[in-house]
Amino acid sequence: MLAFPTYLRRLLEHAGPEAQRDHSATIEAQHVLLAMAAEAGTETSECLASAGLDQRALRAALDLEFRHTLSAAGISVDKAELQRSESTANRPLHLGTSVQHALERGLGATREAPRPAHVLLGILQADVGTVPRALALAGIDRSALIARVRQALRAE
Amino acid sequence: MAKALDEGPADALAAVAALRRLADQLEDTAVEQAMRTGWSWPEVAEALGVTRQAVHKKHAKRLIAAGIPLRRR
Repeated sequence: MLAFPTYLRRLLEHAGPEAQRDHSATIEAQHVLLAMAAEAGTETSECLASAGLDQRALRAALDLEFRHTLSAAGISVDKAELQRSESTANRPLHLGTSVQHALERGLGATREAPRPAHVLLGILQADVGTVPRALALAGIDRSALIARVRQALRAE
Repeated sequence: MAKALDEGPADALAAVAALRRLADQLEDTAVEQAMRTGWSWPEVAEALGVTRQAVHKKHAKRLIAAGIPLRRR
């Protein structure tokens, strides 16, 4: 298993392309979650998979949230139109506020040595924002998923 | 927009965040299209209502990486 700082650095590196794909100048919690879901056989990806959230399902949930929210504001989006930009890579990225808050929540509340599941917990514990809205729209029981992550943390 | 506001602050705030994301996506696409068709940085900046420096800083690196020919500033 990777040392936690190395894991976190790699996770954020993998979240970068997700942010770029999203045309975002910042890495947000949903981008980190997508990077986690893409991991194979890790504690965090297994927790997500237990709720049916592989990367594809998560991406679909986030896409649904985006469209649903814009639709409520009276705007419909042609996905093909948005995908026409080919040059999303190589934009300087900064850590977004939602990730900073998730890290504070997940890592700040524990006296244990930090683990990847603490990061996931911090992301899932956000009550407002894109991630909880996407999970709710996709019919995911966020409380049950949080309990599953806590259980994994207790199991060691 | 009224509907989003009627559904409560969470929906209204989410709509603001989604509209910002949409604006960013549209800006990326529009700037790329403009540069592909020979617009200059000052023209793009003026059309967006921002400074040349701002638009160059935000978009130059990704457009160069994508191999899009750029006119000089």
